[in-house]
Amino acid sequence: MLDLMTVDSAGDISPAAPATKEELLGRVAHGDQSAFGELYDQIAPRVLGLVKRLLVDHAQSEEVTQEIFLEVWQSASRYEPTRGGASTWILTMAHRRAVDRIRSSQAGRDRDAKIGIRDLAVAYDHVVETVEVRIEHERVEKAMTRLTQLQRQAVSLAYYGGFSHSEVAEMLHIPLGTVKTRLRDGLIRLRDELGVAS
Amino acid sequence: MTDRNDAHPSDLAGAYALHALDAQDTAAFEAHLIESERARIEAAELNDTAVALGLAVAPVQPSASLKVNLMALLASTPQLPPVPAPRAVGTTDAPGAAPAVPPVAITTAPTATGGSTAGTTPVNRSTNMPASVAAAADIASVDTAPFGTGANRPAMGIHAAEPSGAERSSATERAQVRWFKRPVQFMLAAAAAAALFVGGTFLGQALNADPFEAQQASALAQINAADDSQRAATTTADGQEATLVWSNKLAISAVLVDNLPVLGGDQDYQLWYINAAGAVSAGTFDSSGDGTAWRVLDGTMHAGDQVGVTVEPNGGSDQPTSSPIVAFQS
Repeated sequence: MLDLMTVDSAGDISPAAPATKEELLGRVAHGDQSAFGELYDQIAPRVLGLVKRLLVDHAQSEEVTQEIFLEVWQSASRYEPTRGGASTWILTMAHRRAVDRIRSSQAGRDRDAKIGIRDLAVAYDHVVETVEVRIEHERVEKAMTRLTQLQRQAVSLAYYGGFSHSEVAEMLHIPLGTVKTRLRDGLIRLRDELGVAS
Repeated sequence: MTDRNDAHPSDLAGAYALHALDAQDTAAFEAHLIESERARIEAAELNDTAVALGLAVAPVQPSASLKVNLMALLASTPQLPPVPAPRAVGTTDAPGAAPAVPPVAITTAPTATGGSTAGTTPVNRSTNMPASVAAAADIASVDTAPFGTGANRPAMGIHAAEPSGAERSSATERAQVRWFKRPVQFMLAAAAAAALFVGGTFLGQALNADPFEAQQASALAQINAADDSQRAATTTADGQEATLVWSNKLAISAVLVDNLPVLGGDQDYQLWYINAAGAVSAGTFDSSGDGTAWRVLDGTMHAGDQVGVTVEPNGGSDQPTSSPIVAFQS
């Protein structure tokens, strides 16, 4: 299983990879099922990893992952490469879907706050990751250390926990307006640390 | 800037990128995006930043069955035409500079959100329908439940061109919508196939908006529609009628059991593919106690596999821990 994961993820950067995700997505938009299969192989572990980070339950995470890929299939024609990479497009969709699932299910409400607040490092304990993933992880982890403790908590609860800003406010016992500020300032700081600019 | 209470829309930029806003705030912020180029750039950057957080998460390998299911669903899943209708999707398409916008626009109101429960009304309405032409007709009116990605929000891209297509079952109207034709027919086929087997209970389950159940229904319909579809009937240890249907070509199967007893919350029924290599879990399910409990098995079926059902601790076991209540030879 772990071997498989490594092989699959390594495909992301393999020089032998015949097509980029963007090219594949372009073909998917025209109904190319084999391109869809290839795209799926390249990015499904990323999508499921993220969804499972939020939902925890594996079976439910696979369901949501299926929804996400059906949506990729349905709306591939709406993807515009000039606006960003295919991974960005798909992972944004994935996060949104996972959050929607949490908001819509009672199970989501019962989740413990620690799901969101636990350290990135904890989730990484027993993971065999590729070089690419490791580098990305370390970069983000390092950037996270530049945030204030409260910014970090708020961003983690919202992004990794899937909690709404009002839920975050309740958990951290701070006013909603303060949460908004922290989320925005925290993300801006992360943006600058990570060198994200359009 | 930030001490203007909650009034300043730009304050929402962070929460928006993190999908932490409710529908109302999301709409307010998107209205702000339309007005402000600067806000769109920030939204795009913060969205990319959020994605960086996502890319830092450890990948998880999906089960093989997930891809099998997906690939099987493609043929019957409509695709959007290349260019969205600009008028209808103006509010979501206009702030085009932001990469955040397209996915958000499309996923704003998936069938699973609490806010979209209105969309499930016609679905639930069918719950008690007997399996019949009437039920099948009703399916035609709810075809977006499993396939649409959010039919309920006017500003939303996918269904904007035919906002009430899901509500009205006018054949003409539906015929105009190219990409809805196949799913409607497909679901009709699914309903017809399902009706043959299990009747009303099945429909009640199949019409649920839950995509997992929709996927299950599709898979069952595919088995039944396969040209090499086979079935084997037997009884459980307690005498309930049990049926296995399968297709060697599709390499999938489903188990259906009548009046399977309800289990306690600490137990699940678990399915197994059993062959010379041992037993492989094929998923868990539970039963409401009456009607037909059924499930399409996870994973790949190999010709000649045995299929068994055991009672296991909640969530299932790695290997069977009890004797099967029923077993089939495919």
